[in-house]
Amino acid sequence: MILGGRDTDLVLLDENGIRCDGRKIDEPRKIMIKAGVLKNADGSAYIEFGDNKIVVGVFGPRDVHPKHLANTDTGILRCRYHMSPFSVEERKKPAPSRREIEISKVIKEALKPAVMLEQFPRTVVDIFIEVLQADGGSRCAALAAASVALADAGIPMRDMVSACAAGKVADTIVLDVNNEEDQAGQADMPVGYMPNMEKITLIQLDGVLTPEEYKKCVETAIGGCKLVYEIQKKALTDKYFSNGGNN
Amino acid sequence: MGNVSLIDQLKGQKIHDLLEQGKRVDGRSFDEPRQLTIETGVIPKAEGSARVHLGDTEVVTGIKVQLDRPFPDRGDNGIFICTAEILPLAHPDAEPGPPGEDVIELARVVDRGIRETGMVDLTQLVLEKDKTVIGIFADTSIIDHAGNLFDACSYATTAALLSTKIPKWEMQDDVPVKVEGQESDAPITTIPVSITMGRIGEHIIVDPNADEWSCLDARITITTNSDGNICALQKGGKDGFTIEQLVKCGEISVSVGAKIREILKETKGTSQ
Amino acid sequence: MENTKRKYVIPGDVITSGPYRPEQNVILDGERIIATAIGISEIYDDTVRVISLTGKYIPKINDLVVAKVLSHSSLSWELDINSSYVGFLPAADVFGRDFSAHADELNSKLKKGDLVVARIANSDRSRDPLLTISDRELGKIESGELVEISPSKVPRLIGKRGTMIQTIEMATGAIITIGQNGWIVVSCENSDGLLKAVKAIQMVEEQAHIANLTDRVKSMLESKGE
Repeated sequence: MILGGRDTDLVLLDENGIRCDGRKIDEPRKIMIKAGVLKNADGSAYIEFGDNKIVVGVFGPRDVHPKHLANTDTGILRCRYHMSPFSVEERKKPAPSRREIEISKVIKEALKPAVMLEQFPRTVVDIFIEVLQADGGSRCAALAAASVALADAGIPMRDMVSACAAGKVADTIVLDVNNEEDQAGQADMPVGYMPNMEKITLIQLDGVLTPEEYKKCVETAIGGCKLVYEIQKKALTDKYFSNGGNN
Repeated sequence: MGNVSLIDQLKGQKIHDLLEQGKRVDGRSFDEPRQLTIETGVIPKAEGSARVHLGDTEVVTGIKVQLDRPFPDRGDNGIFICTAEILPLAHPDAEPGPPGEDVIELARVVDRGIRETGMVDLTQLVLEKDKTVIGIFADTSIIDHAGNLFDACSYATTAALLSTKIPKWEMQDDVPVKVEGQESDAPITTIPVSITMGRIGEHIIVDPNADEWSCLDARITITTNSDGNICALQKGGKDGFTIEQLVKCGEISVSVGAKIREILKETKGTSQ
Repeated sequence: MENTKRKYVIPGDVITSGPYRPEQNVILDGERIIATAIGISEIYDDTVRVISLTGKYIPKINDLVVAKVLSHSSLSWELDINSSYVGFLPAADVFGRDFSAHADELNSKLKKGDLVVARIANSDRSRDPLLTISDRELGKIESGELVEISPSKVPRLIGKRGTMIQTIEMATGAIITIGQNGWIVVSCENSDGLLKAVKAIQMVEEQAHIANLTDRVKSMLESKGE
């Protein structure tokens, strides 16, 4: 494997099974989620996932503009994933890139199975995701935060959608690939998962895996999703059920 | 900004009635800005950054520093570029897409305040005259829109610049090479402070909140430098000002600006 | 809370399983009954529901709402009712049967930004909700202050048999108009009373999930300080 880029001498996994940022193979980065961070949005959330810093605002269900997009049978979901110009090493032009447009779509489709918009015909729910600082796994972090923001907005949902990636680094399946591992590693697999319905709603893969590795990678990612789910739950509990709740 | 929601007549009436009694709807005095909090270093990947809360308005500025070609007529100056975006998550009426006239005005007013005060000494950002200079890109994202974006964006940009570390480059065989581990503060000469005032009837109020903003007859943004001189102005809104009102606004911008400048200086002291 | 069958839930939480009937904010998934909203789940007899703590107002026929005039055409007004849908008030409702689009100026009755108390006359999936203000307690609001709470917390503000709202009105002397859409108009001659009434309403908004809220509000209203 040619490791390309400037970090060719980076040790991705040492003899004790410790990764380049000091984590064990099944350990996620530090994750913090806060629900209800914006005043104007109907629902919102902020997530720090490793070095990712992402804020999500949800509006709706509300009138659809332009009108012709409205569906008389159900509400529709729209999603915009956007990176701030200062979120990455090299300044990013403010206009949306092809990558951002694709991520917007896969996040929307990961959330669609969970939201129940049949009760709101002719409306739209808008999800706006702003990546203030980007790190590896920003789409998973964005998806996890978007799910919290939707629940905060009171959009009816069959389940939360959690998210975490797994990947292959130095011939080993590891949880939650970071930026360096993504650049120099062998595979990255972001997964979105409905924990109670046990349904995978987002999965992508960059890299090469054997069938055995593939299975292990999916299982590892789902394990990560379950950890992230607990943090999502805590964010909502902290906002809605704290200060003097007595059960 | 045009996109502040329609307020109900009862609240509009209340704002007017209170002003007649010398009071504001949120209990502030006429020349009192909302609470200002500034955190710097919030985006470690950017060379400088600041998150500012001005009341309920929240903005984040990130500064990227990279090499660029100078403007053809300014070969002996570095580049400073300022942009702003009202993120669609900041307000129900904000829409994604290219910036509208309000946002372009906003970015230009912030830019003018910094440029005209000469806050950053651009002549110190030249590597090779007419060929390679250091560019400073200040991008501001509005996250929650609750009135008076001018001052919130201006304070965030200024605080971010104060916290900016400029990497060191050296020319080796006509090619600029970054010297790892060496950086310096941005070449700052003065601290600009903008004060935005609104006029409702005969009353001049500093830092209008979202409700007051939708009642304004006219507004003006005045930027002063550390010496207390006025360096940039922008008038907006559907009506005008009398000369007396403009003189008064100038005085307010100097006195209130001096207090804000102390807050900006403090954030510089505490960052890192 | 004494009732052990009440639980705090978020979307996806399994409330119970078995032969229960699903009501508001829950779905049946095989045998399991699952919450679809953040709130408090309740099991009464054979029914399960979740009292939601967030979300927009869903118009229901006969609901009283507080609405804000957004705009008008030559035949009707559009009103913000804090919902996913814009309320629709036909000019004939205000001008009567002989309304003439040529002679009658809609602006003369209701202007942009005016607040009204209205009733939902009709609401179904295919059309925007139809409003009426032609009844004795309905119409333009001339004075008072608008307070916004989450529509899901309106039942809490009213309280069991109106206990909460009566407590607030009696202690402050305020007159409180509660829109089911979470918009509340408070008017009071005495400015201290107004302040206290608004504060009490905000307390309900912030602490809706907490037991013995009525007592807490009572003791705040009785306190002399603030």
